[in-house]
Amino acid sequence: MSEQSKTLDIMRRIGAPRPEKIRISGILQSPLLASLTLLLPGGDSDPTAAVLEILGEYDINIRFINKYRDSVGNTSLCLCIDADVLDTAISALDVHEESLGIRDFVYHPKVKVISIYPHKQRPRVAERLLTALRMNGVDPLSTNNASSVVSCVVNNESVDQALVCLTSAFELP
Amino acid sequence: MGSAEILEIYPLKIQRGLTQLSFLRIPTRPGATRPLFDLLEHHGVAVRFLIEGCAGDYNRDLIVCIDSEAFTRLEPELKKVEIRMQNQSLELRHSVAIIRVLGPHFDIRPGTSSLLFGALQKADITIFSNATTITSSMCVIPDDQVETAKRVIGRTFDIPKKKK
Repeated sequence: MSEQSKTLDIMRRIGAPRPEKIRISGILQSPLLASLTLLLPGGDSDPTAAVLEILGEYDINIRFINKYRDSVGNTSLCLCIDADVLDTAISALDVHEESLGIRDFVYHPKVKVISIYPHKQRPRVAERLLTALRMNGVDPLSTNNASSVVSCVVNNESVDQALVCLTSAFELP
Repeated sequence: MGSAEILEIYPLKIQRGLTQLSFLRIPTRPGATRPLFDLLEHHGVAVRFLIEGCAGDYNRDLIVCIDSEAFTRLEPELKKVEIRMQNQSLELRHSVAIIRVLGPHFDIRPGTSSLLFGALQKADITIFSNATTITSSMCVIPDDQVETAKRVIGRTFDIPKKKK
């Protein structure tokens, strides 16, 4: 049993506190997607624009991007694309792996983006989303906010579980 | 998407005077980030920008942007938050801004995000962080590069003038 599973088990046995539900307007889920997470050089040589340009040349739509600088100065770039073009994307990036300086490359072939709205920049909405999912054993691969939603990328096999726990963590109309 | 087509977007939304906080390598466990969000909630601080990503070895990275004025108020309490979250490091970027591009439908037009990133890169705009969904893209950039970024995005997309 992993450390995380042990923690979850203990929390379930002692009974985690049930906070008051937060009212939201709705929960959305995307069509089936694939996620790619690339570790790229940071700083002046950051090739994010080049990666996106290559995918654009192959007519690949990008539905979700998270980009930031990690603890050692690399650029972490998480992208979600339509699931049926994953092989095309991998081939395209493989060809340019060296010139782009790709340092690591992880993909998940079947994911969905689950979004709750409105977010309204409220800290407790994001916190409840992340905690509710992890308390129920769903580990979001990536999370971000937009103007009115907060979204997370979840493995497709965990989507039903995620929707059940979010429905119980938030108050829907 | 044809090369001659200039996509129409909504007027840019720009939030200035922000601080970016990067909590790096937080051990993954339920409620790990709660101390930070509880602190922000307690002080009524809005989360202007949020991304969370996988940092490997069961760790997560959490990046948030808040108003710099709020950061000044919260700074004395951040050390306690860090101890509870057990993050490996906290990196701060002061004087940042968020520029939001809304409307070009990143999800149905291949190359749209590359247009945005490419244009900003050519103008030497530093994008510290970015969160893009199907209709909006939010870039965290240095505050002193906002005017240049506005001009560049204005040349790349068609931005209708706001009605008076």
